[in-house]
Amino acid sequence: MTTVPDVPRRIETDPVAERYARGWHCLGLSDDYRDGSPHQVTAFGTKLVVWADADGEIHVLDAYCRHMGGDLTQGTVKDGNIACPFHDWRWGGDGRCKQIPYSRRVPLRARTSSWPTLDQDGMLFVWNDPEGNPPIEEQAIPRIPGATSDEWTDWHWYSIRIDGSNCREIVDNVVDMAHFFYVHYSMPTYFKNVFEGHVATQYMNGAERADVAIPSEDGAELLEIRSTASYFGPSFMIDDLVYEFDTGDFESILINCHYPIDTNSFVLQYGIIVKKPQGVSDEHAAASAKTMGDFIKTGFEQDVEIWQNKARIDNPLLCEEDGPVYQLRRWYQQFYTDVADVQAEMTDRFEFELDMTRPAEAWSREVADNVARRDEAAGAH
Amino acid sequence: MAIRTTTPGNEKADRPEVRPDVRLETAPMVPVSCESCGITVEARKSSWEQTSIQWHGDLDGCLERRAAPPPTIAGTAFRGCTALRNTLSHAVDRGALPVLTESE
Repeated sequence: MTTVPDVPRRIETDPVAERYARGWHCLGLSDDYRDGSPHQVTAFGTKLVVWADADGEIHVLDAYCRHMGGDLTQGTVKDGNIACPFHDWRWGGDGRCKQIPYSRRVPLRARTSSWPTLDQDGMLFVWNDPEGNPPIEEQAIPRIPGATSDEWTDWHWYSIRIDGSNCREIVDNVVDMAHFFYVHYSMPTYFKNVFEGHVATQYMNGAERADVAIPSEDGAELLEIRSTASYFGPSFMIDDLVYEFDTGDFESILINCHYPIDTNSFVLQYGIIVKKPQGVSDEHAAASAKTMGDFIKTGFEQDVEIWQNKARIDNPLLCEEDGPVYQLRRWYQQFYTDVADVQAEMTDRFEFELDMTRPAEAWSREVADNVARRDEAAGAH
Repeated sequence: MAIRTTTPGNEKADRPEVRPDVRLETAPMVPVSCESCGITVEARKSSWEQTSIQWHGDLDGCLERRAAPPPTIAGTAFRGCTALRNTLSHAVDRGALPVLTESE
Protein backbone atom coordinates (compact mmCIF):
# COMPACT_ATOMS: atom_id res chain seq x y z
CA MET A 1 0.00 0.00 0.00
CA THR A 2 1.22 3.46 -0.84
CA THR A 3 0.20 6.27 1.44
CA VAL A 4 -1.35 9.32 -0.15
CA PRO A 5 -0.72 12.64 1.61
CA ASP A 6 -4.03 14.03 2.83
CA VAL A 7 -3.78 17.56 1.40
CA PRO A 8 -6.25 19.45 -0.79
CA ARG A 9 -5.71 18.84 -4.49
CA ARG A 10 -4.79 21.99 -6.40
CA ILE A 11 -6.35 22.91 -9.71
CA GLU A 12 -3.55 23.48 -12.21
CA THR A 13 -3.93 25.76 -15.21
CA ASP A 14 -1.36 25.91 -17.99
CA PRO A 15 -1.13 29.14 -19.97
CA VAL A 16 -3.64 29.18 -22.84
CA ALA A 17 -1.76 28.97 -26.15
CA GLU A 18 -1.88 32.32 -27.97
CA ARG A 19 -2.52 30.53 -31.21
CA TYR A 20 -5.47 29.09 -33.11
CA ALA A 21 -5.95 25.54 -34.23
CA ARG A 22 -4.82 24.37 -37.64
CA GLY A 23 -7.69 22.99 -39.65
CA TRP A 24 -11.03 23.57 -41.31
CA HIS A 25 -13.47 25.73 -39.36
CA CYS A 26 -17.10 26.13 -40.39
CA LEU A 27 -18.36 29.73 -40.49
CA GLY A 28 -22.01 28.78 -40.95
CA LEU A 29 -24.36 28.26 -43.88
CA SER A 30 -22.84 29.50 -47.12
CA ASP A 31 -26.11 30.96 -48.42
CA ASP A 32 -26.04 33.48 -45.58
CA TYR A 33 -22.90 34.98 -47.15
CA ARG A 34 -24.24 35.08 -50.70
CA ASP A 35 -26.31 38.29 -50.65
CA GLY A 36 -23.72 40.35 -52.52
CA SER A 37 -22.67 42.30 -49.41
CA PRO A 38 -19.49 42.00 -47.36
CA HIS A 39 -19.89 40.19 -44.02
CA GLN A 40 -17.86 40.60 -40.88
CA VAL A 41 -16.65 37.58 -38.94
CA THR A 42 -14.41 37.95 -35.91
CA ALA A 43 -12.33 34.82 -35.69
CA PHE A 44 -8.79 33.66 -34.93
CA GLY A 45 -8.15 36.82 -32.95
CA THR A 46 -8.76 39.06 -35.95
CA LYS A 47 -11.54 40.42 -38.14
CA LEU A 48 -12.39 38.76 -41.44
CA VAL A 49 -14.35 40.00 -44.41
CA VAL A 50 -16.44 37.38 -46.21
CA TRP A 51 -18.18 38.00 -49.53
CA ALA A 52 -19.42 36.20 -52.61
CA ASP A 53 -18.55 37.20 -56.17
CA ALA A 54 -21.03 37.20 -59.06
CA ASP A 55 -20.50 33.46 -59.58
CA GLY A 56 -21.45 32.83 -55.95
CA GLU A 57 -17.89 31.87 -55.02
CA ILE A 58 -17.14 32.92 -51.44
CA HIS A 59 -13.90 34.61 -50.44
CA VAL A 60 -12.37 35.37 -47.04
CA LEU A 61 -9.72 38.02 -46.37
CA ASP A 62 -8.32 39.80 -43.36
CA ALA A 63 -10.71 42.73 -42.90
CA TYR A 64 -8.15 45.52 -42.66
CA CYS A 65 -7.00 47.13 -45.89
CA ARG A 66 -3.21 47.05 -46.23
CA HIS A 67 -3.26 50.59 -47.66
CA MET A 68 -4.37 52.74 -44.72
CA GLY A 69 -6.13 50.16 -42.56
CA GLY A 70 -9.71 50.72 -43.73
CA ASP A 71 -12.32 48.18 -42.66
CA LEU A 72 -13.25 46.13 -45.73
CA THR A 73 -16.38 44.78 -44.02
CA GLN A 74 -17.77 48.34 -44.38
CA GLY A 75 -16.93 48.34 -48.09
CA THR A 76 -18.77 47.09 -51.15
CA VAL A 77 -18.42 44.28 -53.64
CA LYS A 78 -17.34 45.67 -57.04
CA ASP A 79 -16.69 43.37 -60.02
CA GLY A 80 -16.31 40.42 -57.64
CA ASN A 81 -13.62 42.17 -55.60
CA ILE A 82 -14.00 43.81 -52.22
CA ALA A 83 -13.62 47.59 -52.39
CA CYS A 84 -12.35 49.50 -49.36
CA PRO A 85 -14.69 52.24 -48.12
CA PHE A 86 -11.70 54.50 -47.39
CA HIS A 87 -9.96 54.87 -50.81
CA ASP A 88 -11.70 52.27 -53.01
CA TRP A 89 -8.72 49.91 -53.24
CA ARG A 90 -9.99 46.66 -54.79
CA TRP A 91 -8.92 43.35 -53.25
CA GLY A 92 -9.47 39.98 -54.93
CA GLY A 93 -10.35 36.73 -53.22
CA ASP A 94 -6.74 35.58 -53.73
CA GLY A 95 -5.60 38.35 -51.41
CA ARG A 96 -4.03 40.50 -54.16
CA CYS A 97 -4.86 44.12 -54.83
CA LYS A 98 -6.45 44.14 -58.28
CA GLN A 99 -6.97 47.82 -58.88
CA ILE A 100 -6.63 51.30 -57.41
CA PRO A 101 -8.99 53.42 -59.52
CA TYR A 102 -7.11 56.68 -58.89
CA SER A 103 -3.65 55.23 -59.52
CA ARG A 104 -1.84 54.20 -62.70
CA ARG A 105 -0.65 50.99 -61.10
CA VAL A 106 -0.81 48.80 -58.03
CA PRO A 107 2.31 48.83 -55.82
CA LEU A 108 4.51 45.75 -55.53
CA ARG A 109 3.70 43.27 -52.74
CA ALA A 110 0.10 44.51 -52.53
CA ARG A 111 -1.12 41.33 -50.97
CA THR A 112 -3.16 40.70 -47.82
CA SER A 113 -4.03 37.61 -45.80
CA SER A 114 -6.51 35.31 -47.47
CA TRP A 115 -8.10 32.21 -45.99
CA PRO A 116 -8.59 29.13 -48.18
CA THR A 117 -12.32 28.40 -48.33
CA LEU A 118 -14.46 25.33 -48.87
CA ASP A 119 -18.11 25.65 -49.79
CA GLN A 120 -19.57 22.20 -49.29
CA ASP A 121 -22.95 20.70 -48.43
CA GLY A 122 -24.39 24.14 -47.75
CA MET A 123 -21.67 25.14 -45.28
CA LEU A 124 -18.77 27.56 -45.57
CA PHE A 125 -15.40 26.51 -44.19
CA VAL A 126 -12.10 28.34 -43.82
CA TRP A 127 -8.72 26.72 -43.34
CA ASN A 128 -6.71 28.26 -40.53
CA ASP A 129 -3.01 27.55 -40.31
CA PRO A 130 -0.60 29.63 -38.23
CA GLU A 131 2.20 28.34 -40.48
CA GLY A 132 0.37 29.61 -43.57
CA ASN A 133 0.40 26.31 -45.46
CA PRO A 134 -2.38 25.16 -47.80
CA PRO A 135 -5.06 22.74 -46.51
CA ILE A 136 -3.90 19.21 -45.70
CA GLU A 137 -5.61 16.94 -48.22
CA GLU A 138 -6.12 14.04 -45.78
CA GLN A 139 -7.99 16.38 -43.45
CA ALA A 140 -10.73 17.23 -45.95
CA ILE A 141 -14.22 17.44 -44.47
CA PRO A 142 -16.26 14.36 -45.52
CA ARG A 143 -19.24 14.90 -47.81
CA ILE A 144 -22.66 14.52 -46.18
CA PRO A 145 -24.93 12.85 -48.76
CA GLY A 146 -28.13 13.80 -46.90
CA ALA A 147 -27.30 17.51 -47.10
CA THR A 148 -27.89 17.62 -50.85
CA SER A 149 -30.65 15.01 -51.02
CA ASP A 150 -34.37 15.69 -51.47
CA GLU A 151 -35.00 12.84 -49.09
CA TRP A 152 -33.60 14.96 -46.26
CA THR A 153 -34.63 18.33 -44.86
CA ASP A 154 -32.59 21.51 -45.26
CA TRP A 155 -30.22 22.56 -42.46
CA HIS A 156 -31.80 23.90 -39.33
CA TRP A 157 -28.93 26.00 -38.00
CA TYR A 158 -28.13 27.54 -34.62
CA SER A 159 -25.32 29.86 -33.59
CA ILE A 160 -24.37 31.06 -30.10
CA ARG A 161 -21.53 33.36 -29.07
CA ILE A 162 -19.80 32.15 -25.92
CA ASP A 163 -17.71 34.61 -23.92
CA GLY A 164 -15.33 33.80 -21.11
CA SER A 165 -14.44 30.30 -22.35
CA ASN A 166 -11.77 28.73 -24.48
CA CYS A 167 -13.13 26.41 -27.17
CA ARG A 168 -11.34 23.42 -25.61
CA GLU A 169 -14.33 23.17 -23.25
CA ILE A 170 -16.68 22.06 -26.03
CA VAL A 171 -14.14 19.59 -27.42
CA ASP A 172 -13.88 17.94 -23.97
CA ASN A 173 -17.51 16.82 -24.44
CA VAL A 174 -16.31 14.09 -26.81
CA VAL A 175 -15.10 12.03 -23.87
CA ASP A 176 -17.32 13.31 -21.10
CA MET A 177 -19.73 10.40 -20.78
CA ALA A 178 -21.29 11.35 -17.44
CA HIS A 179 -22.22 14.91 -18.42
CA PHE A 180 -24.57 13.52 -21.07
CA PHE A 181 -26.79 12.32 -18.23
CA TYR A 182 -26.49 15.39 -16.03
CA VAL A 183 -26.46 18.15 -18.67
CA HIS A 184 -28.04 16.72 -21.82
CA TYR A 185 -30.79 14.56 -20.25
CA SER A 186 -29.48 11.45 -21.95
CA MET A 187 -29.22 7.97 -20.49
CA PRO A 188 -26.00 6.57 -21.96
CA THR A 189 -25.95 2.77 -22.14
CA TYR A 190 -22.82 2.30 -24.25
CA PHE A 191 -19.79 4.53 -24.65
CA LYS A 192 -16.57 4.19 -26.58
CA ASN A 193 -13.96 6.60 -27.92
CA VAL A 194 -11.47 6.06 -30.71
CA PHE A 195 -8.85 8.67 -31.61
CA GLU A 196 -6.77 8.20 -34.71
CA GLY A 197 -4.97 10.68 -36.92
CA HIS A 198 -7.00 13.90 -37.08
CA VAL A 199 -10.29 12.16 -36.19
CA ALA A 200 -11.74 11.73 -32.69
CA THR A 201 -14.81 9.51 -32.52
CA GLN A 202 -17.43 8.92 -29.88
CA TYR A 203 -19.78 5.94 -30.10
CA MET A 204 -22.68 6.32 -27.73
CA ASN A 205 -25.97 4.52 -27.35
CA GLY A 206 -28.66 5.77 -25.06
CA ALA A 207 -32.08 4.92 -23.76
CA GLU A 208 -35.17 6.95 -23.01
CA ARG A 209 -35.39 8.63 -19.63
CA ALA A 210 -38.79 8.31 -17.99
CA ASP A 211 -38.21 11.64 -16.21
CA VAL A 212 -37.45 13.62 -19.40
CA ALA A 213 -39.73 14.15 -22.36
CA ILE A 214 -37.70 13.39 -25.48
CA PRO A 215 -39.51 14.52 -28.64
CA SER A 216 -41.25 11.53 -30.16
CA GLU A 217 -43.32 10.89 -33.23
CA ASP A 218 -46.99 10.58 -32.30
CA GLY A 219 -46.50 8.66 -29.07
CA ALA A 220 -44.20 6.06 -30.60
CA GLU A 221 -42.03 4.20 -28.12
CA LEU A 222 -38.34 5.12 -28.19
CA LEU A 223 -36.26 1.96 -28.05
CA GLU A 224 -32.72 3.25 -28.46
CA ILE A 225 -30.67 6.27 -29.47
CA ARG A 226 -27.54 5.43 -31.45
CA SER A 227 -24.93 8.07 -32.05
CA THR A 228 -21.61 7.93 -33.90
CA ALA A 229 -19.94 11.30 -33.76
CA SER A 230 -16.52 12.38 -34.96
CA TYR A 231 -14.47 15.52 -34.94
CA PHE A 232 -12.74 15.84 -38.27
CA GLY A 233 -9.94 18.13 -37.18
CA PRO A 234 -10.15 20.56 -34.27
CA SER A 235 -13.60 22.01 -34.66
CA PHE A 236 -16.06 20.23 -36.95
CA MET A 237 -18.06 17.27 -35.71
CA ILE A 238 -20.48 15.14 -37.71
CA ASP A 239 -22.90 13.11 -35.59
CA ASP A 240 -24.81 10.29 -37.26
CA LEU A 241 -27.74 10.18 -34.86
CA VAL A 242 -30.52 7.61 -35.08
CA TYR A 243 -33.59 7.50 -32.84
CA GLU A 244 -35.00 3.99 -33.05
CA PHE A 245 -38.75 3.96 -32.37
CA ASP A 246 -40.99 0.90 -32.36
CA THR A 247 -42.49 2.39 -35.52
CA GLY A 248 -39.12 2.74 -37.30
CA ASP A 249 -35.87 4.68 -37.34
CA PHE A 250 -35.71 8.46 -37.20
CA GLU A 251 -32.42 9.35 -38.91
CA SER A 252 -30.63 12.62 -38.46
CA ILE A 253 -27.24 14.24 -38.99
CA LEU A 254 -26.20 16.69 -36.33
CA ILE A 255 -23.31 19.08 -36.90
CA ASN A 256 -21.54 20.42 -33.84
CA CYS A 257 -18.88 22.96 -34.75
CA HIS A 258 -17.23 26.14 -33.56
CA TYR A 259 -14.67 28.74 -34.43
CA PRO A 260 -12.57 30.75 -31.98
CA ILE A 261 -13.21 34.49 -31.76
CA ASP A 262 -10.13 34.81 -29.58
CA THR A 263 -8.56 32.56 -26.96
CA ASN A 264 -11.32 33.38 -24.46
CA SER A 265 -14.45 33.30 -26.60
CA PHE A 266 -15.86 31.29 -29.46
CA VAL A 267 -18.91 30.86 -31.63
CA LEU A 268 -20.66 27.54 -31.14
CA GLN A 269 -22.84 26.40 -34.01
CA TYR A 270 -24.93 23.35 -34.59
CA GLY A 271 -27.08 22.28 -37.45
CA ILE A 272 -29.44 19.44 -38.05
CA ILE A 273 -30.97 17.67 -41.01
CA VAL A 274 -33.38 14.77 -40.71
CA LYS A 275 -34.36 12.13 -43.21
CA LYS A 276 -37.96 12.74 -44.19
CA PRO A 277 -40.00 9.82 -42.92
CA GLN A 278 -42.08 8.01 -45.56
CA GLY A 279 -45.52 9.43 -46.11
CA VAL A 280 -44.78 12.60 -44.16
CA SER A 281 -45.04 16.08 -45.64
CA ASP A 282 -41.93 18.25 -46.06
CA GLU A 283 -43.38 20.74 -43.58
CA HIS A 284 -43.86 18.03 -40.98
CA ALA A 285 -40.30 16.75 -41.52
CA ALA A 286 -38.91 20.29 -41.20
CA ALA A 287 -40.90 20.72 -37.99
CA SER A 288 -39.38 17.48 -36.65
CA ALA A 289 -35.88 18.82 -37.36
CA LYS A 290 -36.74 22.03 -35.53
CA THR A 291 -38.24 20.20 -32.54
CA MET A 292 -35.16 18.02 -32.28
CA GLY A 293 -32.84 21.00 -32.76
CA ASP A 294 -34.61 22.95 -30.04
CA PHE A 295 -34.29 19.98 -27.68
CA ILE A 296 -30.55 19.79 -28.39
CA LYS A 297 -30.34 23.58 -27.98
CA THR A 298 -31.55 23.28 -24.39
CA GLY A 299 -28.72 20.88 -23.67
CA PHE A 300 -26.11 23.18 -25.23
CA GLU A 301 -27.45 26.13 -23.25
CA GLN A 302 -26.82 24.14 -20.09
CA ASP A 303 -23.30 23.41 -21.31
CA VAL A 304 -22.77 27.15 -21.76
CA GLU A 305 -23.98 27.81 -18.22
CA ILE A 306 -21.38 25.33 -16.94
CA TRP A 307 -18.53 26.69 -19.10
CA GLN A 308 -19.10 30.30 -18.15
CA ASN A 309 -18.81 29.51 -14.47
CA LYS A 310 -16.24 26.71 -14.37
CA ALA A 311 -12.46 26.85 -13.93
CA ARG A 312 -10.10 25.85 -16.68
CA ILE A 313 -8.42 22.72 -15.34
CA ASP A 314 -5.39 20.98 -16.78
CA ASN A 315 -5.09 18.30 -14.09
CA PRO A 316 -8.65 16.95 -13.83
CA LEU A 317 -9.12 14.34 -11.12
CA LEU A 318 -10.81 11.38 -12.81
CA CYS A 319 -12.63 8.29 -11.62
CA GLU A 320 -12.54 5.07 -13.63
CA GLU A 321 -16.01 5.73 -15.08
CA ASP A 322 -14.83 8.99 -16.67
CA GLY A 323 -13.78 9.09 -20.30
CA PRO A 324 -10.22 9.62 -21.59
CA VAL A 325 -9.93 13.39 -21.02
CA TYR A 326 -6.12 13.43 -21.01
CA GLN A 327 -5.82 11.33 -24.16
CA LEU A 328 -8.36 13.54 -25.94
CA ARG A 329 -6.41 16.65 -25.05
CA ARG A 330 -3.22 14.96 -26.26
CA TRP A 331 -5.02 14.32 -29.59
CA TYR A 332 -6.32 17.93 -29.66
CA GLN A 333 -2.80 19.28 -29.08
CA GLN A 334 -1.75 18.23 -32.60
CA PHE A 335 -3.75 21.15 -34.02
CA TYR A 336 -1.85 23.65 -31.87
CA THR A 337 1.54 22.24 -32.86
CA ASP A 338 3.56 23.02 -35.99
CA VAL A 339 3.23 20.12 -38.43
CA ALA A 340 6.93 19.25 -38.04
CA ASP A 341 6.55 19.02 -34.25
CA VAL A 342 3.43 16.81 -34.11
CA GLN A 343 4.31 13.79 -31.94
CA ALA A 344 3.27 10.24 -32.82
CA GLU A 345 1.44 9.96 -29.48
CA MET A 346 -0.92 12.76 -30.57
CA THR A 347 -2.11 10.86 -33.66
CA ASP A 348 -1.56 7.17 -32.76
CA ARG A 349 -4.78 5.21 -32.42
CA PHE A 350 -6.24 5.09 -28.93
CA GLU A 351 -9.37 3.17 -27.91
CA PHE A 352 -11.34 3.50 -24.70
CA GLU A 353 -14.46 1.51 -23.96
CA LEU A 354 -16.33 2.38 -20.79
CA ASP A 355 -17.93 -0.10 -18.41
CA MET A 356 -21.49 1.25 -18.08
CA THR A 357 -22.62 -1.15 -15.31
CA ARG A 358 -22.26 1.21 -12.39
CA PRO A 359 -23.50 4.40 -14.14
CA ALA A 360 -26.56 2.48 -15.40
CA GLU A 361 -27.39 1.29 -11.87
CA ALA A 362 -27.00 4.73 -10.33
CA TRP A 363 -28.92 6.55 -13.04
CA SER A 364 -31.79 4.07 -13.21
CA ARG A 365 -32.29 4.66 -9.49
CA GLU A 366 -32.10 8.43 -9.92
CA VAL A 367 -34.61 8.45 -12.77
CA ALA A 368 -37.00 6.23 -10.78
CA ASP A 369 -36.71 8.63 -7.84
CA ASN A 370 -37.41 11.61 -10.09
CA VAL A 371 -40.50 9.93 -11.53
CA ALA A 372 -41.76 8.99 -8.05
CA ARG A 373 -41.25 12.57 -6.85
CA ARG A 374 -43.03 13.95 -9.90
CA ASP A 375 -45.97 11.59 -9.45
CA GLU A 376 -46.15 12.48 -5.76
CA ALA A 377 -46.16 16.20 -6.58
CA ALA A 378 -48.87 15.64 -9.21
CA GLY A 379 -50.93 13.68 -6.70
CA ALA A 380 -50.66 16.46 -4.10
CA HIS A 381 -52.41 18.97 -6.37
CA MET B 1 -5.87 28.64 -53.56
CA ALA B 2 -3.97 31.42 -51.86
CA ILE B 3 -1.48 30.82 -49.10
CA ARG B 4 -2.09 33.07 -46.16
CA THR B 5 0.66 35.00 -44.52
CA THR B 6 0.98 35.00 -40.76
CA THR B 7 -1.44 37.28 -38.95
CA PRO B 8 -1.13 38.58 -35.40
CA GLY B 9 -2.38 36.07 -32.84
CA ASN B 10 -1.37 33.22 -35.07
CA GLU B 11 2.31 33.21 -34.23
CA LYS B 12 4.25 30.20 -33.10
CA ALA B 13 3.70 29.33 -29.44
CA ASP B 14 5.77 27.32 -26.99
CA ARG B 15 4.62 23.75 -27.01
CA PRO B 16 2.64 23.11 -23.81
CA GLU B 17 3.29 19.81 -22.15
CA VAL B 18 0.92 16.93 -22.83
CA ARG B 19 -0.01 15.53 -19.44
CA PRO B 20 -0.41 11.82 -18.73
CA ASP B 21 -3.75 10.44 -17.47
CA VAL B 22 -3.77 10.71 -13.65
CA ARG B 23 -5.34 7.27 -13.46
CA LEU B 24 -2.16 5.71 -14.85
CA GLU B 25 -0.15 6.79 -11.79
CA THR B 26 -1.36 3.83 -9.75
CA ALA B 27 -2.31 1.47 -12.58
CA PRO B 28 -0.21 1.91 -15.71
CA MET B 29 -0.86 0.43 -19.13
CA VAL B 30 0.71 -2.95 -19.86
CA PRO B 31 2.28 -4.09 -23.16
CA VAL B 32 0.49 -7.00 -24.85
CA SER B 33 1.28 -8.60 -28.22
CA CYS B 34 -1.59 -9.75 -30.41
CA GLU B 35 -1.79 -13.54 -30.82
CA SER B 36 -2.96 -13.06 -34.38
CA CYS B 37 -0.63 -10.48 -35.93
CA GLY B 38 2.04 -9.85 -33.28
CA ILE B 39 1.45 -6.11 -33.04
CA THR B 40 2.30 -4.83 -29.57
CA VAL B 41 -0.12 -2.43 -27.93
CA GLU B 42 -0.44 -1.07 -24.41
CA ALA B 43 -3.62 -2.08 -22.63
CA ARG B 44 -5.36 -1.38 -19.36
CA LYS B 45 -8.51 -2.91 -17.94
CA SER B 46 -10.47 -1.06 -15.26
CA SER B 47 -12.95 -3.91 -15.22
CA TRP B 48 -13.94 -6.84 -17.43
CA GLU B 49 -16.03 -4.48 -19.52
CA GLN B 50 -13.69 -1.47 -19.56
CA THR B 51 -10.57 -1.44 -21.71
CA SER B 52 -8.07 1.16 -22.94
CA ILE B 53 -5.83 0.28 -25.88
CA GLN B 54 -2.93 2.40 -27.08
CA TRP B 55 -1.71 1.47 -30.54
CA HIS B 56 1.60 2.63 -32.01
CA GLY B 57 2.45 3.69 -35.53
CA ASP B 58 0.59 2.47 -38.57
CA LEU B 59 -1.87 -0.39 -38.20
CA ASP B 60 -1.23 -2.11 -41.51
CA GLY B 61 -0.05 -5.23 -39.69
CA CYS B 62 -3.51 -5.73 -38.18
CA LEU B 63 -5.44 -8.13 -40.42
CA GLU B 64 -8.89 -7.01 -39.25
CA ARG B 65 -7.94 -3.40 -39.74
CA ARG B 66 -6.91 -4.13 -43.33
CA ALA B 67 -10.23 -5.89 -43.95
CA ALA B 68 -12.31 -3.13 -42.35
CA PRO B 69 -14.69 -1.13 -44.54
CA PRO B 70 -13.72 2.46 -45.35
CA PRO B 71 -14.62 5.21 -42.86
CA THR B 72 -18.17 6.55 -42.91
CA ILE B 73 -19.11 10.21 -42.69
CA ALA B 74 -19.31 9.76 -38.93
CA GLY B 75 -15.82 8.33 -38.52
CA THR B 76 -13.88 5.12 -38.59
CA ALA B 77 -15.76 1.90 -39.27
CA PHE B 78 -13.02 -0.03 -37.45
CA ARG B 79 -14.24 0.01 -33.87
CA GLY B 80 -11.65 -2.45 -32.70
CA CYS B 81 -9.95 -5.76 -33.40
CA THR B 82 -11.62 -8.96 -32.15
CA ALA B 83 -8.35 -10.94 -32.28
CA LEU B 84 -6.76 -8.31 -30.04
CA ARG B 85 -9.76 -8.40 -27.74
CA ASN B 86 -9.37 -12.17 -27.38
CA THR B 87 -5.64 -11.73 -26.78
CA LEU B 88 -6.40 -9.33 -23.93
CA SER B 89 -8.83 -11.83 -22.37
CA HIS B 90 -6.17 -14.51 -22.49
CA ALA B 91 -3.63 -12.11 -20.99
CA VAL B 92 -6.05 -11.51 -18.11
CA ASP B 93 -6.47 -15.28 -17.64
CA ARG B 94 -2.68 -15.71 -17.51
CA GLY B 95 -2.37 -12.88 -15.00
CA ALA B 96 -0.34 -10.81 -17.45
CA LEU B 97 -2.98 -8.05 -17.63
CA PRO B 98 -4.54 -6.95 -14.35
CA VAL B 99 -8.23 -6.11 -14.05
CA LEU B 100 -8.48 -3.28 -11.52
CA THR B 101 -11.88 -4.21 -10.09
CA GLU B 102 -10.58 -7.74 -9.42
CA SER B 103 -7.75 -6.46 -7.26
CA GLU B 104 -9.94 -4.38 -4.96
